[in-house]
Amino acid sequence: MKLARPLENLIDQLIKLPTIGPKTAQRLALYILKIPEGEARLLAQAIIDAREKVFPCPRCGYLTDTDPCMICRDVNREKGVLCVAEEAKDIIAIERTGFRGRYFVLNKEFNLMEDNNLEDFNISGLRKMLVSGEIKELVLALNPDIDGEVIARYLAGIAAEYEVKTTRLAHGLPVGGDIEYADEITLRMAIEGRKEI
Amino acid sequence: MKLSLINLKNFRNINKLEYTPCEKLNILSGENAQGKTNILEAIFALGTTFSFRTREDNNLVKYTADGFSITGKYEKENRLINAALNFSSNTGKIYKINNKKTTRSNIDRLRVVLFTPDDLYLIKGSPSHRRDFVDFILRQISDEYVYNLQNYAKILKKRNLLLRDNGVRSKTFKIINELFIDSAVKIILARINFVNILDETARQVYSELTNERYKIKIRYAISFPLDNDKINLDILTKALQKQLINKNEREVIRKSTLMGPHLDDIHVYQDDKMARIFASQGQQRNIAISLKLAELYTFKKIKGFFPVFLLDEVLAELDDEKKQLLVKHLATADFQSFLTSVNFGNINYYSAKFSLVINGHLE
Repeated sequence: MKLARPLENLIDQLIKLPTIGPKTAQRLALYILKIPEGEARLLAQAIIDAREKVFPCPRCGYLTDTDPCMICRDVNREKGVLCVAEEAKDIIAIERTGFRGRYFVLNKEFNLMEDNNLEDFNISGLRKMLVSGEIKELVLALNPDIDGEVIARYLAGIAAEYEVKTTRLAHGLPVGGDIEYADEITLRMAIEGRKEI
Repeated sequence: MKLSLINLKNFRNINKLEYTPCEKLNILSGENAQGKTNILEAIFALGTTFSFRTREDNNLVKYTADGFSITGKYEKENRLINAALNFSSNTGKIYKINNKKTTRSNIDRLRVVLFTPDDLYLIKGSPSHRRDFVDFILRQISDEYVYNLQNYAKILKKRNLLLRDNGVRSKTFKIINELFIDSAVKIILARINFVNILDETARQVYSELTNERYKIKIRYAISFPLDNDKINLDILTKALQKQLINKNEREVIRKSTLMGPHLDDIHVYQDDKMARIFASQGQQRNIAISLKLAELYTFKKIKGFFPVFLLDEVLAELDDEKKQLLVKHLATADFQSFLTSVNFGNINYYSAKFSLVINGHLE
């Protein structure tokens, strides 16, 4: 079936988005054609604004439209606790928990287990924070996979240079979950990391 | 596990077939190209959702039809379970256990151990055949083993990349090397523990299958030297650390990792001589069957129940005495087995259910 060229173009652009397949892309494109023109313009403008105004915070790497970001400017934050995450989206998740320390985002855009190495990380910002002497504890909020393990060991080594304690988030059972259904590896890690009550 | 009923429709050369095996030995006999192995293949597919002969599901469909169906009933630890595998080119493959859609990792799936003529390579083939044999069973037994094996593959690949790119002095290499040692020793230790159980069981089985004439011994062969007779996580770790330092220069020259579980072997000895070199063809086949039988008994020891044993054309290359002893073992064992063969010669059947396969039908 032939589609009008601009419609086809819109579908082609939408298909590039993660989790969007050909059918969803077509549905979204047709939806955009149906809504009032003003709304469609708002959507287009929102994309342009976000691209133009949002950037990683030069201090911590979190996404911001001010320099430094809201979190870095917040004087009520605990200065001694620094949480390291792989991506900005991890910080959004951790923020929801009410964590009150500060952050450092690695913004990893490469595959550590392929052609890139630890040396490719830009951690000069992290070193600057560590050298200030304010930080007492580095909390590693890294994914529980092999990449996370490699990065954790690397960062723990760096923190040790500045005599800063490193901790890593616990691996274990999801809250509200059922022990019976937990996989063997998670359950074993949960047993290893058990806590006295 | 005991299969009590299997129904096939439009599967290979089979139009429609109902088969009710007995709880012990089942013999499928017939001329070539009549459909004996197709029945084994269907039992295998009912438990694993795929064939051991092709990865292409379309090849399993009878040429006049557009899909096949396999349904079966079996007992697992005193529970009756039904399973169905349906395939059509439109809907793809649908696997159901107890009438619920499921995947091939369902814990109630039919477990099978398969022996084909190719399994002779278990003895005379390259070490990778023997590692795969051990890994295949350990994967069924332990999720943690699967996890360690996956991690090891990634770390090994990265370690080799670093050796290739002259990255041995980097921080990345130091950390990758630590993780390499951690996961390597976990895999080695799991395999050693498993091979020890396998050794014990295989010894009994082989002695029975050779009328107590020969002894076999199975040993895990680590790809680096140990200077201690005892083996535990700590000793293995220290030995691997030491050897990696010793071999560092060679690894840099060769640009690849020269030791670890990916290079280990499982040595099989007959009367203290390496079976791969000194045992005859017939003996090697008999040893391979013993290893497969040992796999069954080891599975039972760890999981608490027996898988179903499928043997495709194994009798052809055994002499009369070996045939007799194997059939006797299968007929009197506690597990269920299925055996295909063109010709039984003058075998005593003991108590076996005998079915003749002619052109996709059972007689």
